[in-house]
Amino acid sequence: MRAMIRFAKRPRLRFISHLDLQRFFQRAVNRTGLPIAYSQGFNPHPVMSFGSALALGWTSDYEVIDIKLSAPMGRKRTEDAIRAALPEDLPVLEVRMVDDRHPAPMALVKMADYRVTLEGESAPAALAQIPAFLAREAVSAVKKTKSGEKEINARALVVNMTPFEGGFDARLMLTERESIKPDLLVALLAEMAGVEPPEARIHRLTLLGKDGDGNLRPLMEL
Amino acid sequence: MSLSDRIEKLLMNVTKPVRYMGGEYGAVMKDASRVDVRYAFLFPDTYEVGMSHLGMKILYHAINAREDAWCERVFSPWVDMAELMRENDIPLFSLESRTPVRDFDLLGITLQYEMSFTNILEALDLAGIPLRREDRTDGPFVIVGGPCAFNPEPLEPFVDLVALGDGEEETMQTIDAYKRWKAAGLPREDYLRMCAEIPGIYVPSLYDVSYNEDGTVRTITPKPGSQAPAVVKKAMVKDLNTAVYPERLIVPYGEIVHNRIMLEIFRGCTRGCRFCQAGMIYRPIRERGIDRLMELADKLVSSTGYDEISLMSLSSGDYSCLPELAHQMVERFAARRVKISLPSQRIDNVLTDTLKETQKVRKTALTLAPEAGTQRLRDVINKGVTEADLIRSVTDAFDQGWSAVKLYFMLGLPTETDEDVLGIADLAEKVRKCYFSIPKERRAPGLRITVSASVFVPKNDTPFQWAGQLEYDEVVRRQQLLRQALSRIKGVDFKYHAPDISFIEAVFARGDRRLGEALERAWRLGCRFDGWSDQFRYDLWLRAFEETGIDPNFYATRERAVGEVFPWDHLDCGVTKQYLLREWEKARKGECTPDCRKGCTGCGMKRYEGACV
Repeated sequence: MRAMIRFAKRPRLRFISHLDLQRFFQRAVNRTGLPIAYSQGFNPHPVMSFGSALALGWTSDYEVIDIKLSAPMGRKRTEDAIRAALPEDLPVLEVRMVDDRHPAPMALVKMADYRVTLEGESAPAALAQIPAFLAREAVSAVKKTKSGEKEINARALVVNMTPFEGGFDARLMLTERESIKPDLLVALLAEMAGVEPPEARIHRLTLLGKDGDGNLRPLMEL
Repeated sequence: MSLSDRIEKLLMNVTKPVRYMGGEYGAVMKDASRVDVRYAFLFPDTYEVGMSHLGMKILYHAINAREDAWCERVFSPWVDMAELMRENDIPLFSLESRTPVRDFDLLGITLQYEMSFTNILEALDLAGIPLRREDRTDGPFVIVGGPCAFNPEPLEPFVDLVALGDGEEETMQTIDAYKRWKAAGLPREDYLRMCAEIPGIYVPSLYDVSYNEDGTVRTITPKPGSQAPAVVKKAMVKDLNTAVYPERLIVPYGEIVHNRIMLEIFRGCTRGCRFCQAGMIYRPIRERGIDRLMELADKLVSSTGYDEISLMSLSSGDYSCLPELAHQMVERFAARRVKISLPSQRIDNVLTDTLKETQKVRKTALTLAPEAGTQRLRDVINKGVTEADLIRSVTDAFDQGWSAVKLYFMLGLPTETDEDVLGIADLAEKVRKCYFSIPKERRAPGLRITVSASVFVPKNDTPFQWAGQLEYDEVVRRQQLLRQALSRIKGVDFKYHAPDISFIEAVFARGDRRLGEALERAWRLGCRFDGWSDQFRYDLWLRAFEETGIDPNFYATRERAVGEVFPWDHLDCGVTKQYLLREWEKARKGECTPDCRKGCTGCGMKRYEGACV
């Protein structure tokens, strides 16, 4: 049995790196008192996985961690135990118990919704480029990856984008092969406007996947 | 914009923003309007260093256990953050509530190391608190404690109170006194006078110092009418079983130096190594019982989720029933995948078999500290170990599958000769032979021997407080002598540093009030994080001494006469000056003093009620 937990990362903790968060959860699950399943081998550790790494400095309302339990456990008890083991700024929002055969959260993620708030003088100019960006067939961009730089069509990775006063909401592709980060998008808009990239506050709203019929659904509902 | 938002703005542009973040699991939050006393606890180094410090955890827990007080943490901002804070007019703040430090009632600062003294001035300045006590008309009282508090004189112009000895009880009393002082609406100086009555609290402003013509101290006496005691005795917790100890800990997000449960199994040390200040000032030895330790370990494992417990003390192998403790710990926690470790290993008491079992998981380097290269010099420093002990320990370790050994030594110990220096290389060679004496199929491949040689710093309140530190050039010559000797041995890595940091450390360890000027000048010239070799500026330090007319050699390299009055003579650390002098004389004759568990050595601790029972 596994517990799929959705939690938020509040602004105060936005500088915890993904690696540090992983280490943090190894200790956090130890203090839940739940029957946690451990990996076999030389240096056993709790069996758990994350939905998608959140970049340093971002906040989120949709972080998903999946923890394997070694014995059946009720949803409510699991939720209470996890909640007590986490600090105020990593609040538990939703817990779902799933079967061991349920796909790992990372395999389910297809897209993510973000709210991007821009600050600084160049913000309006960058935001004004959104209709132009969406109207284009292709916007070429250079994406930095672990193995170097890669040329991509940024437009194809943006599902939609909705501007509002001081920022925009965006639904972006998020799979192993196809993904774009909101900060790259902000840089592209600024480039199109011919301005310096404004300062961006990035907040993840939802992680999305596809159900059996191919419909987009929030990850926790799949 | 709130201070918190303004801090947030900076964090995007500094290295390791986690240092300033707060919000960790276990951090104590309170309603500021519902406490009487707000206590800022400053560890004058980085977050990673300070968060690894047991004393801070104990006092944080103890203060926060009170309903009427709230203790928050403060660390030294790294240089990049300090610069941004100044540029943006952001005062030094606490991690929990992000309150300016200058708005606290009390500011406690722990003095773990002389080389953090400039960080204290930096912190006061960043907080917007006038550096000098005489310039402060409001704001928090500055209280220093910790090992260096036994000679706080170089910090005298900057501090209000000095807390000597164990902090658990005296800290509570300073808080109680603060409440009484505030309720009575008394002038600022009255708080200091009230605190002078608390056992262990020294109030520097209530004492006058006079000097001889040769620059040495003539007298240190309480100011007329101050009613301060002629000698301030340290505070001592009698029973660690009933003493407060944290049952919850703050669990940091980032990696810190020691990220595990620290369980103090005893305080004090009976060995009497003559160079060791901790071995003197933390006396007498007081053990926590196994039952209490098991209870604490249980609670801490459950509340923190850590998977490692470190059994802390000055010499953990000396715990009276270590095998029993180790056995119980391993038995209780193995199923919970919690490792038990002993951080300081001595070569004369080998790990117990039970711990060897648990250590099988990770074979990190075996760390041993023979301190000196020959038996003669080990006798001088009263390091009661022999070459045979060392050989037995390393052979045993190699046989168990270790292949890395770290050996720690000091250069420049009193009476050291070239023969002693070269003895270090001989020892390294013998360790190497031990490894090859194990059949090839049994030993782990890849022998690594690391020899580390630090420069000896004579400390106050030790038998070597009369000794001069070895001159700079001579230290360099002996380092090179050793380096050459070790370069002829395969597989040995030699680690050593320029003697400059140790020299400044030696100046301050036995400094007096007049050094406050040089300290402030050095800080104004830009010295901070002096314990970090990448930040340390020897040139600026020398300039500071020159500009303030202070001869650093007077403090560091001068051997003291037997009758000399020391700047810390009015502070009683538990052992007497007579005892230390006896030990100094025995050292120079190469005579050992046995561990005082084998018979009282008359160190003076018995003068304290409840000690050595």
